[in-house]
Amino acid sequence: GGEGGAGGVQPPPSRDFQLSLEIDAGEGTIIKVTVKTPKDKEEIAIAEDSSVTQFKEEISRRFKAKQDQLVLIFAGKILKDGDSLSQHGIKDGLTVHLVIKTAQNTSTSSSTSTPAGSLHPLPFPAGGFGDLSTLAGLGMGSANFMELQQQMQRQLMSNPEMLSQLMENPLVQNMMSNPDLMRQMMVSNPQMQQLMERNPEISHMLNNPELMRQTMELARNPAMMQEMMRNQDRALSNLESIPGGYNALRRMYTDIQEPMFSAAREQFGNNPFSALGGGSESGVQPSRTENREPLPNPWGPPNASNPPESAGGGGGGPAGGTRMFNSPGMQSLLQQISENPQLMQNMLSAPYMRSMMQSLSQNPELASQVMMNNPLFAGNPQLQEQFRSQLPVFLQQMQNPEALSVMTNPRAMQALMQIQQGLQTLQTEAPGLIIPGSIPGIPSGGSAPTENPASSPSSAGTPPNVAQQQLMQQMLQMFAGGGNQTPEVRFQSQLDQLNAMGFINREANLQALIATGGDINAAIERLLGSQPS
Amino acid sequence: MDKNSARYNVQLYIYDLSRGMARSLSPIMLGKQLDGIWHTAIVAYGDEFFFGGEGISSCSPGGTMLGPPDTVVELGETEVSEEIFMEYLSSLGESTYRGDRYRLFEHNCNTFTNEVAQFLTGMPIPSYITDLPSEVLATPFGQILRPILDSIHIAPPGGNVINGGRNI
Repeated sequence: GGEGGAGGVQPPPSRDFQLSLEIDAGEGTIIKVTVKTPKDKEEIAIAEDSSVTQFKEEISRRFKAKQDQLVLIFAGKILKDGDSLSQHGIKDGLTVHLVIKTAQNTSTSSSTSTPAGSLHPLPFPAGGFGDLSTLAGLGMGSANFMELQQQMQRQLMSNPEMLSQLMENPLVQNMMSNPDLMRQMMVSNPQMQQLMERNPEISHMLNNPELMRQTMELARNPAMMQEMMRNQDRALSNLESIPGGYNALRRMYTDIQEPMFSAAREQFGNNPFSALGGGSESGVQPSRTENREPLPNPWGPPNASNPPESAGGGGGGPAGGTRMFNSPGMQSLLQQISENPQLMQNMLSAPYMRSMMQSLSQNPELASQVMMNNPLFAGNPQLQEQFRSQLPVFLQQMQNPEALSVMTNPRAMQALMQIQQGLQTLQTEAPGLIIPGSIPGIPSGGSAPTENPASSPSSAGTPPNVAQQQLMQQMLQMFAGGGNQTPEVRFQSQLDQLNAMGFINREANLQALIATGGDINAAIERLLGSQPS
Repeated sequence: MDKNSARYNVQLYIYDLSRGMARSLSPIMLGKQLDGIWHTAIVAYGDEFFFGGEGISSCSPGGTMLGPPDTVVELGETEVSEEIFMEYLSSLGESTYRGDRYRLFEHNCNTFTNEVAQFLTGMPIPSYITDLPSEVLATPFGQILRPILDSIHIAPPGGNVINGGRNI
């Protein structure tokens, strides 16, 4: 090519290219312009100073379309034939848009251009996710979404890791801790709605934000959920054995639980609860039976995990008693209770529970019979023995409103656990140390009974009973804030800190610290008037 | 310039699909601040056009379920007539912007809007919108959720699908 010139009019200075001196081609700098159609893209080399017409000629060749069908657009402007490329600023490497008009399309486009032409109105689905749709724009359109939702759920449910990861995500947690949201979700499920109509208690339950929140907390933590389900199963299985209790249970189950589970299962694709709950939908009796076996026995040492101890005769007696609070089941139970005061309250306030307690305490034989029949104990006469002896005491405790309030106070339970842990640590660190009164309750932590010098009552029988009682009383005292010097001594440093922060009411400080188990921040919250849940 | 070529105003409607939740929750969720989950549409010739799971749709401006836009950006003017534009859209709708080509991360409503904006006015849409997918994917959360998100089609109801191939 040559230098940029005004066209072929002037002969190039020292060029012999007069032959190819055409006005458009060959003279100007060649630029490469991308011509883009909706479906296609071509790079066209053209002289920089070409006119639009010339450009179109080239394009028409390339795209196999007639020139008058071509509409070129650049920077929002339509390139008219008389224009030149440079006039529009079309330079090397830039993109020009092309629309190829077709005769039929013209008429079509005018009809499609009217939006009122309602081509395919989109149905608005009643997504089960309700408000969740605003979160990520889900559920805002097609039937696509419903399948997607199913898919997503299925995927999630079948991949527990992903599920737990998802659950741990603060956003999800946030969402789940919004009871209104969850409630909406649940009620929007038509099956749930049916269920609710049939059983007004369900709607009560759904309307109780406290309960919902608790349920959501459980749902967040699959492990906790699992535990809760098992414990629920266990509690229910115990209740089963009470005359009349079985019927009540059965009623409860068939009326409420089953439909709810299946409804929930529908909604969630594959209800994680049911999976965790051990498939209790399959029927009351069989599931109970199955579930009993592996459940940890909170009222005594787990059979399987402590064979040496339970076989340990005399040592096994007190050790068994001491282990009452230490079994993993108990620990987790305590943990749950401390995190879910509602759970305990529900359990304790449930009418059948109360009456059961009543009848049990009044009739220790009945109670022991019940326990005997419970397969949990069946394999272990030792256990039965202990439990029988401890039973009256235990029942007393349960009746004791103070004990009840302790159990419903999450902080109290937390502190209880902390104490245990502390004592446990102490045990292992300083085995020679014997703390009067609190010893019987000390968990032996699974260590061999012979190493457990802290089980001071050496013979089986009444001492564990007494010791147990002592422990309970002591704990109660501690939480009542008076009695031992321990709380004040324990919390001395915290008290000082609170003091320094300006909380000068020592009594209140102490109470708060006791209630929160020494947690300063929580204590401060308490002091400032926020109510513990 | 030719006075007799009609000019049409082109606007960009920007919607935040998360309704503000992204702004507050993104720091926790993603570890970075995202001011919104952006859905965009082009408004021109008195209509709103957007790309979703069903393909290119149109409706009256602000007429989707999303309601009025959070932000409106003036993209400028175009000489392209409605007729040509519709033809252009039809072609797009048959090819790169068919419904099944929708990809939440790589080929979404904003991709469409960007392309159309450039077609009509030569200007792209603001980069913070087109950068959104890569921003999300750069976070661990985005990576984890990617398989799920990839299969999500966002299609705000209220629009009518433009099917270029069919003659009505």
